[in-house]
Amino acid sequence: MIEKIHALWPEITLFAAACVVMVVGLSRNVQVRRLCVPVCFIALVAAGVLAWFTTPMSAAAMAHLPQYGKTLAAFVGALLLLLLVGTPDREYEDDVARGRAAFEPIRGTRGEFYAFYLFSITGLMLCAGADDLIWLFLALELTSLPTYIMVAISTGRNRSMEAGVKYFFLGALGAATFLFGFALIYGATGSTKYTAIAEALQAQYQAGPLNAIAVAGVVLAVLGIGFKIAAVPMHFYTADVYQGASAPVSAMLAFVPKAAGFFALLGLLSCVGWFRATEPNTSLPEPIHEVLWFMAVLTMTVGNVLAVMQNSVKRILAYSSIAHSGYMLVGLIAGPGLQKDSFTHNGLAAVLFYLLVYGVSNIGAFAVLACLERRGRDGQMEEADDIADLRGLCSRRPLLGWIMVISSLGLLGLPPLLGFWGKMPLFTAGVSSGDYLLVVILGLNSAIAAFYYLRLVGVTLLEAPDAPGRGVPVQPGPFPTRVLAGVASVAGIIMLSFIPLTNQAQRAGIYNRDPIIKRSAEPAQPAVPKPEV
Amino acid sequence: MTALFTATLAQGELPNVMSGVTLYHFLFTSAAMFVIGLIGFLTRRNLIIMFLCTELMFQAAGIALIAFSRFWMNHTGETFVIFVLTVAAAEAAMALALVVLLFRRKETLDSSAWREMKG
Repeated sequence: MIEKIHALWPEITLFAAACVVMVVGLSRNVQVRRLCVPVCFIALVAAGVLAWFTTPMSAAAMAHLPQYGKTLAAFVGALLLLLLVGTPDREYEDDVARGRAAFEPIRGTRGEFYAFYLFSITGLMLCAGADDLIWLFLALELTSLPTYIMVAISTGRNRSMEAGVKYFFLGALGAATFLFGFALIYGATGSTKYTAIAEALQAQYQAGPLNAIAVAGVVLAVLGIGFKIAAVPMHFYTADVYQGASAPVSAMLAFVPKAAGFFALLGLLSCVGWFRATEPNTSLPEPIHEVLWFMAVLTMTVGNVLAVMQNSVKRILAYSSIAHSGYMLVGLIAGPGLQKDSFTHNGLAAVLFYLLVYGVSNIGAFAVLACLERRGRDGQMEEADDIADLRGLCSRRPLLGWIMVISSLGLLGLPPLLGFWGKMPLFTAGVSSGDYLLVVILGLNSAIAAFYYLRLVGVTLLEAPDAPGRGVPVQPGPFPTRVLAGVASVAGIIMLSFIPLTNQAQRAGIYNRDPIIKRSAEPAQPAVPKPEV
Repeated sequence: MTALFTATLAQGELPNVMSGVTLYHFLFTSAAMFVIGLIGFLTRRNLIIMFLCTELMFQAAGIALIAFSRFWMNHTGETFVIFVLTVAAAEAAMALALVVLLFRRKETLDSSAWREMKG
């Protein structure tokens, strides 16, 4: 047990920082209260460095996943933190600063907000390092539970609470579903350890088809985790929650639970395995493959078609986040491929790289929304949300406008930008797995996505400014760190294409099937690609 | 009597009082609880009842875990259940906090009263 502590330095750092932040946020002195953000930022950077240098190789089938996943979580987490600055207690702190209210620690939510954020990132890191179903369950819950509260307290408005409650209830439903799935997987294999599960399932392959309980367990677990990644049929909450929450919190929801869900799916599906010693093909076993296939197709299509019909920018981004999950599911279906050291054949590496691409590109779009506000129906200023709020932003506020344009194009995947390099390996992995129909659907969906992303670009870049009071920069007090987050995101979209990060994703995506094959009775057969469907 | 009791326990069977009860009975109970919880969650509109339905689904998984733990004669499932209970308690605390918050704003527990966002 004690040796596991060595694998947990980044998580321990974040946990300690969360405890500090929780106390510091309660201080009556405003200068001390403001220390929350620097403490969080230092902790995230330190956790990222520790994750890169101290994380040992995991015993599970994807040995390098923990190192990549934890570093990714800390890196994107630090960017998201820049965006989250100023979200909690905005109106209350304003009142305190103007002397309209006295500060009472019990009313402040700043400490909880940042501490919960760190807890959520801790959960995400634990998901990446999980090698046991109990661990995975706790990590997924640690990722999600704080986000429910963060949504509910992100603004003082009724719609944030509505969003928080919706998110919580559907989240509990999802958690119950994957917990039942985990229970059935344990029942079918007798263990909760990834390595033991993989061994037991491999032994079942040798004897014949998979146990029905194991199949039901994996399917339920995939459906339940589908809530975290906002995949159809568990996607209903997404648009409402993203719209109701404050824009920085929505940006966080688009990355943190999604990444946790994909780490969990990678862990689970690598136990099931894309290779079987008795069969020459490389795909998941039949019912699980079919469930994931339909999930991917429906998630892409529903997300993109509904995004086309929206007028709220947050809802467009919410539905597009559903669609992006669908794209990534294609990588999971394609599996690790037959060439071990090839990035373009490895769907798992493509998924891991796409998480980085999506995490970085998404922050820019939400940062622009977080920097703008408009006069709402009740006369109060509220966050910019309608697509009309962006009209002519490039001429009014060139910096914000161009952040919006480039991050939209990046999310769309226009060739020189990062989004293209993220999507291309998904296509090539799909092609090399032989599932051409899925690749065609992926291509069509990318075309539909161009419609609404180009609409965002067109409104921002080409149209004339709208009536005054729409989409003006946030008063009182600008949040320079939010603009900084947007600039960093755009810099990432342009620059990261030139840095060979794909090597890291490729290394993290290596799926080690040798230990399983060696144990099987027959020698490993030379595998051939799956014939065309 | 005690010796007989421990002997049957060691073989992974339940004591004589419940001699007809097998793993499948537990699994059936657990699946029934899960489905009842799911149906309740989808059909009821009262927030507290909806939360209780998700709790029912959590406990259904707990029953399955304990039954499987007994079947495999290891303690992994039982350990899992302890953690599940802890998480369920944390969720209950959050659910009640959120429901109280909502009730203070609108004086109702009906989930259909909260429909500000659509589309």
